[in-house]
Amino acid sequence: MALNNDDLEPKRLFKRRALLLGAAQLAGLGVLANHLHRLQVVDGRRFAPIADTNRFSMQVLAPVRGQIFDRFGRVLAKNVEGFRVTLTPGFGQDVNKSLALLSRIIVLPKDKRAKLALRARRSGPDSPIIIADGLTFEEVAEINLLTPQLPGIQTELSYGRTYPQGNVMGHIVGYIGQVSERALGDDPVLRLPGMRIGKTGIERSQDTRLRGSGGLRKFEVDARGRILRNLEERPANTGADVVLTIDADLQRRVLQRVSNERRASVVALDVRTGEVVALASVPNYNPDDIVSGITEQTWKRMASAAQKPMLNRAVAGIYPPGSTFKMVTAMAGLEAGVISARKRIRCSGQFKLAKQKFRCWKRSGHGSLNLQEALKRSCDVFFYETAHQLGIDKLAAMAKIMGLGQVYDCGIEEQNSGVVPTETWKIGRFNRGWLGGETLLAGIGQGYVLTTPLQLAVMTARIATGRTVVPTLLRRESGEDKPVFADLDVREDFLRQIRKGLDAVVNAPGGTGKNARMAAGAPRVAGKTGTSQVTRRSSQQSQSSLEWKERDHALFVAYAPADNPRYAVAAVVEHGEVGGRIAAPLVRDCLGYILEADAEFAGQMLAAKDQKINSENIEETVAVEKPVRRRGRPRKKRRLQ
Amino acid sequence: MSNLLGAPAALNFTQKILRVHWPLLIVVTALSAIGVMTLYSVAGGSFEPWAERHALRFLVAVGVLLAMALVTPRSWMAVAYPAYVLSVAALCLVPVLGAEALGAKRWIQVGGFSVQPSEFIKVSLVLALARYYQVLPTAKISKPFYVALPLVAIAVPVILTLRQPDLGTAALFAILGLTMMFLAGVSWIYFLGGAGALVAAIPLIWTNLHDYQRRRIEVFLDPEKDPLGAGYHIAQSKIAFGAGGVSGRGFMQGTQSQLDFLPEKHTDFIFTMIGEEWGFVGVVVLLVIFACLLMMLISMSISVQHQFGRLLVSGAGVTVFVYLLINVAMVTGLVPVVGVPLPLVSYGGTSMFTVMTLIGLAMSAHVHARQPMRRDEFSTML
Repeated sequence: MALNNDDLEPKRLFKRRALLLGAAQLAGLGVLANHLHRLQVVDGRRFAPIADTNRFSMQVLAPVRGQIFDRFGRVLAKNVEGFRVTLTPGFGQDVNKSLALLSRIIVLPKDKRAKLALRARRSGPDSPIIIADGLTFEEVAEINLLTPQLPGIQTELSYGRTYPQGNVMGHIVGYIGQVSERALGDDPVLRLPGMRIGKTGIERSQDTRLRGSGGLRKFEVDARGRILRNLEERPANTGADVVLTIDADLQRRVLQRVSNERRASVVALDVRTGEVVALASVPNYNPDDIVSGITEQTWKRMASAAQKPMLNRAVAGIYPPGSTFKMVTAMAGLEAGVISARKRIRCSGQFKLAKQKFRCWKRSGHGSLNLQEALKRSCDVFFYETAHQLGIDKLAAMAKIMGLGQVYDCGIEEQNSGVVPTETWKIGRFNRGWLGGETLLAGIGQGYVLTTPLQLAVMTARIATGRTVVPTLLRRESGEDKPVFADLDVREDFLRQIRKGLDAVVNAPGGTGKNARMAAGAPRVAGKTGTSQVTRRSSQQSQSSLEWKERDHALFVAYAPADNPRYAVAAVVEHGEVGGRIAAPLVRDCLGYILEADAEFAGQMLAAKDQKINSENIEETVAVEKPVRRRGRPRKKRRLQ
Repeated sequence: MSNLLGAPAALNFTQKILRVHWPLLIVVTALSAIGVMTLYSVAGGSFEPWAERHALRFLVAVGVLLAMALVTPRSWMAVAYPAYVLSVAALCLVPVLGAEALGAKRWIQVGGFSVQPSEFIKVSLVLALARYYQVLPTAKISKPFYVALPLVAIAVPVILTLRQPDLGTAALFAILGLTMMFLAGVSWIYFLGGAGALVAAIPLIWTNLHDYQRRRIEVFLDPEKDPLGAGYHIAQSKIAFGAGGVSGRGFMQGTQSQLDFLPEKHTDFIFTMIGEEWGFVGVVVLLVIFACLLMMLISMSISVQHQFGRLLVSGAGVTVFVYLLINVAMVTGLVPVVGVPLPLVSYGGTSMFTVMTLIGLAMSAHVHARQPMRRDEFSTML
């Protein structure tokens, strides 16, 4: 085969152009080399003016972290000034020798010295490492005296963080800690040695505000690390302060009361502003212990302990809402027209769906009830019937309107959204179809429904006000408008009927929540009990015969005053057995503290207290709501309804 | 008839091994060795965590390269179009399946690996264009329709990559594709016209850039504008080069670059490390080694007997060159920071394997440089 023109021509053309390309590549490299020549040889002299040992450096200056205050200006998180000593490797010094010399002044055990030497070797010549923090002034003076023998060693001002309120605000304020590799973003401030970042709570959610922004210093240093001259300095901007809605004193009282329980949490909201006035979770921890440096073992023990002290149960603990959810079921029923204020339903003690029996907690039945009575006595059958006619999706829609199944931008990011189940949710989660029986369970706040105490407080506040109350822990800045919450997309007269029922729960004879009643003369409380089952079990077993951790959760939600709501409170006592007996008094007491702290009600509360002393002694036997008893779950294969 | 002209018979294994361009391989090894050495220094005198893995990856990549060199260009031609279609499809999947990292979706997970489809495109685009011009008759090369076809083939991945968004890689595709068209012999007129249109379109491009891209360009034009933010890296990098001076601070003595404030010093900013520790002398040596690599590729490309092979070799050269140019220009503050590694030297498996794969294709073309490949062999499908 002869090479014809068709083959030769492109070859020649290619050769010409390839050579051209080669020339262009060489020219490109030449441009780069020329640029590098200017950068390194011509301008380079400017950067290495005297000797190789003199260096130019840029240093990012750490900003001072903003403080956190409660609503009355009490300090919740502040900085404490201290001294620390740092070592900058890369001055050709013998790190081990310097550390040995330092150990004559400050406590530096041998193993710690070895660790520091290793870190110094790894950190690179220009990034200082912290040798010791929290030095006394005397130690600093002594070290400074020795500076000529200690190249690269510097003493400097440092800021520690402290939380004066300790455990009281631990879960809310959170704490700061070392910047993790993942958190390192664009902000060079985060790469500074000793820089810390908010890990939980307000410290985390408001981190960028609190952090401030770094300054910058360009300077020249000699071989001993002495700064020869500052070329340019731009100071750092201190972080902004953050003011919370919490009243630290009130929070302390509430937390003390909650601490009577082993594991419990309470959330209290101002229903008009959505401000969280108290948020308590037991057990808890002291953030000061964490920032002041705990051992790794202690940390691991705390983080993995069975009672989970690090878990903020008030916003991240998820519980079946139990009967407190009945206000949602009732509201959905009224809106959909499947029940009305007048409609009566007969409770025989059980509800039959296909061949499945769903029992009321009162096995003998409540007889015929209207909505208000059903709420008051927390009848299960009434709400089985309502939920059955509604279907799960309408129920779920109402739960969403009431604020369940979502997290709020409230200042604490460690929230759990809980679960508001729907048919599509179940398919996505379990790849199984929805069963009719599961709608019944959802109707009484059992089954898949899971809520946090914060969500329950929001739900209560929304029922109480008819507005889309949104919770927040951050105090409005002056000049910022008061939040205006939109009306809920429900009928006001339906809300009134629910509120009447909730009032009856506490105040009418035979109400399950009568333990939440405050002393005569004090504001009237309205609320709802809840007892949510933790484990499946046979109906015969009594609560007290069960292991503690298998006992039911006790819940209570309430708002007060009943006629003109100001505060909403939700409480969950884990394994507290019965909402009416355990959680209702807890909520009553917390509401009492809140109202006493509010100037508007303080006088009224004081007057009522005097009267109360007598009535206190008469312990009433209370009609106690018992948990739902049922035999096992509906069979999975069978699709009911 | 072909026997009369002495067209060579198929090569056996030994012949192929003997024909491998070993000097090129030595140059490639030298570059990777510089990478290993620098990574050792970046880690403060430790093979962990980068240097050792870099060396291992290189050894694996050399194996891949040699294996690829043994395959005939004819086989590569057969897979060219399917490879292109598959990699474009994978790129389309990125927005759907992609994992987001640092504000950009570039990766997809396949099994336990994260794969960057844009890396495959570099290889498959070279293959596809080389195949196209192997088959296209010379007379048609500059006909508008036959110019438009490869332009579309280039534009599709460019647009997809721009939307990820990854400006650096998109620019690389465009330059790579257009240079190959240029080498294939497309008329000058198109390139002059295209350049004119590009200048006219600059305002339009500016408005379509992402905020962070625009900020990078603004900061580049005036680094003082944001010395703590995007300009910080450039300023730090420049100080490091200046501190290196003529002869550098010496191995492991780099001080500026060892500052923790300089990010990506093991990947995109590795050249800064070299500049500080080895000075101007060191970077010139490195640039000369790169120049050797590029010139070897140019001379290899000219000596191949068929257009497909010539363009394969060129593809490798152009990719290495563009990477090198953008990376060095970036760390020395000549162009905005776009995030392109220094080929073979920077730590990073993907870029190492892309470059080595392309060189593997080039090597295949070189080994089989004298094996004839007729134009009409694949002409059934363009």
